[in-house]
Amino acid sequence: MLGAFRSALATPDLRKKILFTLGIIIVYRLGATMPAPGVSFKNVRACAEQLEGQNIYSLINLFSGGALLNLSVFALGIMPYITASIIIQLLTVVIPRFEQLKKEGQAGQGKLTQYTRYLTIGLAILQSTGLVALAVRGQLFGECDQDVIPGKDSIFTLIVLVITMTAGTSVIMWLGELITEKGIGNGMSLLIFTGIAARIPAEGKNILNKSSITFALVIVAALIIIASVIYVEQAQRRIPVQYAKRMIGRRMYGGTSTYLPLKVNQAGVIPVIFASSLLYLPDLVVRLTQGSSSEPNWFSTFVQTYLVKQSSWVHISVYFLLIVFFTYFYVGITFNPDERADEMKKFGGFIPGIRPGRPTAEYLKFVLGRITLPGSLYLGIVAILPNLFLDLTGDGQNQNFPFGGTAVLIMVGVGLDTVKQIESQLMQRNYEGFLR
Amino acid sequence: MILFLQILLIVSSVLLVLLVLLHRGRGGGLSSLFGGGMQSSLSGSSVVEKNLDRLTLFVGAVWIIAIVGIGLLIKLPGAGS
Repeated sequence: MLGAFRSALATPDLRKKILFTLGIIIVYRLGATMPAPGVSFKNVRACAEQLEGQNIYSLINLFSGGALLNLSVFALGIMPYITASIIIQLLTVVIPRFEQLKKEGQAGQGKLTQYTRYLTIGLAILQSTGLVALAVRGQLFGECDQDVIPGKDSIFTLIVLVITMTAGTSVIMWLGELITEKGIGNGMSLLIFTGIAARIPAEGKNILNKSSITFALVIVAALIIIASVIYVEQAQRRIPVQYAKRMIGRRMYGGTSTYLPLKVNQAGVIPVIFASSLLYLPDLVVRLTQGSSSEPNWFSTFVQTYLVKQSSWVHISVYFLLIVFFTYFYVGITFNPDERADEMKKFGGFIPGIRPGRPTAEYLKFVLGRITLPGSLYLGIVAILPNLFLDLTGDGQNQNFPFGGTAVLIMVGVGLDTVKQIESQLMQRNYEGFLR
Repeated sequence: MILFLQILLIVSSVLLVLLVLLHRGRGGGLSSLFGGGMQSSLSGSSVVEKNLDRLTLFVGAVWIIAIVGIGLLIKLPGAGS
């Protein structure tokens, strides 16, 4: 293990990539703590202290790594990009032109990505306007009476704030793309990862302050959860594929038997992110439409009591069902059995006992449907674990509690992915990897 | 002074957004987000991309300086509005 670390750092190519990634992450964290112009840092801190423990902005704060409550330049974090990606993904099912683009391969994908980027900026403008409006009205921090934005009477200051936050979002997008391009791993998910990981020390200290026995228990529970998540993430069914021997020229090709790996959890953590973002949307709508003085109408009370409150049964079951649905949905749009079967047929491969072509596609569909069921249930259960605990103990923990639920899923998923990528780089040079 | 910095900030912000949008998106959207498999970036960055990178970095530096400058001016007693 340690030897693998040393060889990873000894390879100049890989070392450069790792250091580059670390550098970008440092820039991102610095920006996340830098207060936006016109925001009084002292007052914001005071207000955020008051808010500790309450969990109004749990999810969005989770994705931005606490930057939201700092009202920093990167306050919106990666959230607009995620929302934009989700919208574009969903639209590929609805709009024929998008579907066509998606099928076009590389070029079409590039175009879709470009649309996502434009939409991100649009959403960033919307969300930053909403955020600034909330902060000005004093709704952002609940009962806090400190003046968060001292110069809020001049409309110019507010415009500067909105534009800066929008630019901050585009910078984050760029940073993420830089990591994907020149560094190790997927930039966007790594940035989310850092946001979550940055909160661990503070949350751990919070628990330690309450009682050390709870702290020990939480650590043990977290280790168990992490181990089981890794176990399921790595699980896959290997469908044997036999390739026929072919002669091309005087070379012999094929004749090998390999396997087609089908992961139990093919979709990764995307369903969790989809579901939680979708659950968050009604709340956002309510917050944006509601004036400061108007009475809460039935819709907002409904949203507040059933969807936002994390210990309510409605919230938990809706969340769970959404995750299961999105797992199937996402597997459905990323893995195409017909295409796989065609590809196999083209290269002279077949699954023993099943005819190539349509029967193979049907078989793959069948296996995939069966294997995704435990995968989706597992995702749902892990994601709602903290909510169930919340219901039992009735206090403090919530979704951005970094030792359970969404946070662990994201961290383990991204971590595994990144390590695998480093490993494949190492393998190119015949070094021993991290994973056995 | 603060007004100047604010105007500078607006200009650099707008420029920054435009420059970032000019980059070719390498993220690959959500399909590659969170373990969508490995895709190698086939083409290296072209000269255009390299210059764009430099320009973006420069504008980003101006942007950060403007933000920090405004922050300091507000913090200093008497200098802020």
